[in-house]
Amino acid sequence: MMVVFPSEEWFQEVRQAYNSDQGLHSGGGGACDTTAGFKVGEYWYFIEFEGLECGQVRQCTEQDLEATDFILEMPLETWQAMLMDVQANGKASSNLTLNSIDLEFEDGIARSPIDDQYRQDLFYRYNQNFQDFFDASSLVETTFESQA
Amino acid sequence: MADKPSGKAASVDREAKLVDPTQGIPEPSYSWRGLTNEWGVKVLPGAHGLRLGDVNVGSYGEVPDYWADQTRRPRGSVGRPGIPPLPYSLRSKHELWADCAADLYEEAIQRRWIPATEVPWDSLEVLPVDIEKAVCQMCTELSQCANTELEIITYWQDRMSYGYFEVKQYLATATFDCARQQEVLRKRALSNGGGLGIESRGRVNRIILESSGGWTEAVVYLYLLRGTYITRLLSGLLSAAHNEAEVFIYSHMLEDHARHLTYGYDHLKYASSHGKDATLIMQTLLAVGEGHMAAELNEGVVSTAMAIIFGGGIEGARTHGMERYLLLVRDFITDYLAICQELGIEREKTLHPVFKRYLENE
Amino acid sequence: MSEATEIPREHELDTSWMDNMAEWGVTAKPGKRGLTLADVQIGSYADLPAISDNMTGRPRGSTPRAEAYRVGAYQVHTLSEIWLDNAEYLYEEALQRQWSSATDIPWHTLKPLPDDVEEAECLLCTFFNEVEFVAGDVPARWIARTTPDYLEARNVLSAQVMDEARHMDVFRKRALANGGGLMRMSGATSGFVGSIDLARDFTEMSTRLHISGEGAVLTMFRMGELFGQNDAEKTMYRLCAQDEARHVAFGVMHLRCLGDTAPERREEIECYLDEAEEQLIAGQQNPAGRQSESSEALAVLLGGGSQHYDEGHKKLLVIRRRQLKEYMKRVISAGFTDRFENGRSPIPAQYAATA
Repeated sequence: MMVVFPSEEWFQEVRQAYNSDQGLHSGGGGACDTTAGFKVGEYWYFIEFEGLECGQVRQCTEQDLEATDFILEMPLETWQAMLMDVQANGKASSNLTLNSIDLEFEDGIARSPIDDQYRQDLFYRYNQNFQDFFDASSLVETTFESQA
Repeated sequence: MADKPSGKAASVDREAKLVDPTQGIPEPSYSWRGLTNEWGVKVLPGAHGLRLGDVNVGSYGEVPDYWADQTRRPRGSVGRPGIPPLPYSLRSKHELWADCAADLYEEAIQRRWIPATEVPWDSLEVLPVDIEKAVCQMCTELSQCANTELEIITYWQDRMSYGYFEVKQYLATATFDCARQQEVLRKRALSNGGGLGIESRGRVNRIILESSGGWTEAVVYLYLLRGTYITRLLSGLLSAAHNEAEVFIYSHMLEDHARHLTYGYDHLKYASSHGKDATLIMQTLLAVGEGHMAAELNEGVVSTAMAIIFGGGIEGARTHGMERYLLLVRDFITDYLAICQELGIEREKTLHPVFKRYLENE
Repeated sequence: MSEATEIPREHELDTSWMDNMAEWGVTAKPGKRGLTLADVQIGSYADLPAISDNMTGRPRGSTPRAEAYRVGAYQVHTLSEIWLDNAEYLYEEALQRQWSSATDIPWHTLKPLPDDVEEAECLLCTFFNEVEFVAGDVPARWIARTTPDYLEARNVLSAQVMDEARHMDVFRKRALANGGGLMRMSGATSGFVGSIDLARDFTEMSTRLHISGEGAVLTMFRMGELFGQNDAEKTMYRLCAQDEARHVAFGVMHLRCLGDTAPERREEIECYLDEAEEQLIAGQQNPAGRQSESSEALAVLLGGGSQHYDEGHKKLLVIRRRQLKEYMKRVISAGFTDRFENGRSPIPAQYAATA
């Protein structure tokens, strides 16, 4: 079943794929506890990692993300490029990992909603989990909003 | 506070010195290019991945008997004159080496475990008070032993030269193991209706911590003398475990501890065959150490706690519980003598009388 | 010598210790994340002494014995000297997030590289070996000096010693796995006054090691995904960065705690930061520092070869700028904001100059 990115349904599908197969959790991507947000185009999403699982992911408002540790924000076309690459290769290619993309932008793609570097650093501390999460989207048949 | 220079004033000079607004692109010197002792090294991963020992190839695998360099020069890299020395006091191979160190390092990583989530804590069930007290007392005692091991390793760790980095690498895993042992024992003591017990008087902890003459001396006490005993204690606790949580804890502690002893014995083997008078020194150390160990064995806390665990309570402790503990001590001394013999350290003839008495117990 | 020569008479028990147990009836329960160190901070076992009188190495909360030997002359025995509010959490995180350089790095993705690129990578690996040596040696030293009453903080340092060993090992493996070798040492991590090594106070050491030193290295490791030439290198740098971020977190949280609980030490800390900032900008310990050998190697890697050195150098400037920004924000997070507003710190000016 094709699901559209971005949508809550798409994130839920990815969450299910990620949680159901520990094989998708790579070395160095152990347990973590953090909340984060994604800004995708005009949409906002909330995600929570609890231990070895993604506890929840849902669409939300910008205000709902004020208490999160960090927010990942990048242009829609960059999100799409990253996910198309995942679809094509089973996981992100080297130059399209979250970390690589973050480095390509002068101010990065991660920011703390309260401008606290300690909390922003959680993006670096738990980077592998977020990467594994998006890599799990290779198992979700995806179509993109513009195509849909 | 009034006599301190203000932050503002103090910063002006620094700014002038540090801020270079030009930020042009300097011409690279490439003075570093071509500076290598050996080039063209290509090690491929094997069935177990790419292990530390695998990259000991060519000149990079040459471990000298004496490492004069007191800097942090990685072994095999090109040195740089004029670097101030650091206080690395262990510079001879026989002072720390064990051939198995690189393998033990990788093994420790592969066999890592996580007390919080891997111990089946929900298998704990309420135990009779005397047994719970005995278990908690052993957790307290063993935790203090792990603390001693942690403190003596970290005391020596940064005095060990980088020529022998495999040993430092392995000891980093042992450090982490000791921290984990303290953690898991604390968790067991505080999760089943009990609490911690009374601290050890610390006779043997003391001789280990005070063995400041060299790392080898510490290893004699830490592993050959006390470590051999702890193996027997952990085996005994494992055989009498009350639930799956304890089985997991003791079996994993035993694995970690076995690794530590492997290093310890292997190092003593190396030291005894390469260090001047090393076996004689070990013999002297053990003659003294056995006295302290004997005194500690004669104290009633551990023996009673173990007897209660073996006997299934105080009543059983008075009979078969204590008998089983005494056999445990006998087995420890038998092991100890066998290892001493293997290392060429004469102990049997002059064995401490208390040790002899335990050996005679059938 | 021995104080006793007789085996206790068989079958006689000494049960006096059973009347001297510490707080009894404690039942910590595992939560969603298992049974964590935070879960066993319960009852009197959670009580952290502001000044520890533990001279015998006993576990915190156990019953002291009057006749125990005083074997622990612990230099760090005041809570504010080492504490941080999330020590137990960082320790558990370290346990959960360990990895293996032998099996978690896709070594098979290494491919022969042009000589200049291989040399640059090998130089950097040699440099990082030295850096990791310091970061392992120094925390180990402080473990032995710290009272076991502060078990949680000490255990985080034990995990750091493990992490740094793994980092050192992964960089050595990389240098020797792809047709290269180790190169000339930098010597940058030796014991100069004001260096991480020689600090005689834990917070002084932590400020230099965890905040300025590892903070700068964290940015570098993250950049490894940019300059890494293959999946093996990119994975190696990414996993190291995760660990490094945990060490940086220790420093930030400790400094925050110290600033709150020992305000009389704030000016002293400012002075450590003054020194650290000088080194961050100019010092050899920063691989992205100006005109060091390692910065040349980085420029080669970032450019994709020496023929693109200028392009690589421009990227390096961006890295340096990011290092400065992140450093400032970490120090602000630790509660030392004023120095960036009152002109004491040279970092804002340096940051502006690199725009």
